[in-house]
Amino acid sequence: MRGYEVIACLKDYLTEDDLLVSSNGNISREVYHLLTKPQVYLRGSMGLPVGVGLGLAVMNSDKRVTVITGDGNLLMGFGSLITTAFYRPKNLRILILDNTQYYTTGGQKTVSTAINYNKFFESLNIEYFKSLIPTEMNLKPVLSEFFDIGLLSILHLTIEEGKQDLANIPWHPTQISMEIQKKFLKE
Amino acid sequence: MIDISEFIKFIEENFDLVSGVPCSYFKNLLATLAKQEEGLTIKHLIATREDEAIAIATGAALSRKRALVYMQNSGIGNIGDALTSLVQLYQLPMMLLISSRGLEDDIDFPEHSIMGDINDPLLETLKLKYWYLKEEWWQKIMQEAITEMNTQSLPVVVMVKKGVLSE
Repeated sequence: MRGYEVIACLKDYLTEDDLLVSSNGNISREVYHLLTKPQVYLRGSMGLPVGVGLGLAVMNSDKRVTVITGDGNLLMGFGSLITTAFYRPKNLRILILDNTQYYTTGGQKTVSTAINYNKFFESLNIEYFKSLIPTEMNLKPVLSEFFDIGLLSILHLTIEEGKQDLANIPWHPTQISMEIQKKFLKE
Repeated sequence: MIDISEFIKFIEENFDLVSGVPCSYFKNLLATLAKQEEGLTIKHLIATREDEAIAIATGAALSRKRALVYMQNSGIGNIGDALTSLVQLYQLPMMLLISSRGLEDDIDFPEHSIMGDINDPLLETLKLKYWYLKEEWWQKIMQEAITEMNTQSLPVVVMVKKGVLSE
């Protein structure tokens, strides 16, 4: 499956209490166009989405926060996975879409294939983790577990390269902040 | 030296989350924070890098909470992208408490000397408004920085020299 196909599947699992943090480039663009708005669409901020998700999760235990990041972005802030495993917020999900490339910048290779993700996650003693190649068949039951387990969970999906032609996110970052902060004003 | 208990009380009254990477200039502050951790009304998260602390603070700011990030000024070298492509771009308020290394006290620590020299011009280039914390009037200085942070909805910096928050 391709990244945007996985992202499109997420809409069946998201509720009012969900908040997504999407990493830069194509992933943010796909989350903006394919899922409900507003979400935290990061631009730039390489290596930072897991930290942003961690901050949101620890400060808002009533929200379910899901970080969607590519492999290049994850590798740049890899220490944040360790920090997350240390604090283990129950309401945080990390979805890694790994195409082993910096796809947005033209498909340059990342070093992601050096990691055995299952062994790595096991070493973090996280309650729920999985690393797999998603298919139409296996993705839905895995996403159900991933979203519903009620504990810190990490899902690493090895995806095929490929993107939809989607327009740039029309919202200026200040509008993204404003829309997100508005969600927290209501409560 | 500022009374650490009073300083923590002030932080508790004005912030919801603290995160950062330590400096010996914050030794007393961080030791007291750790000792009181259970009773604190604020959350304290230890970060692996200064830009990670900024990211954690961003999560807090997006949900209308106030965060304080602490680091050595060497960390300014690590947070350029986190500031320019995240905090400043998304206009998020937070306070950065940064130790002022590389001054005369650090004569034997050359690793700090170059950053010590460029500290203030670097903050200015980054368009960060900054204050130097002083033992006298520290509440006033902190309050001024907080007001600026809130009214501009932007990050502000409070620089801390040796002896101000530690012996």
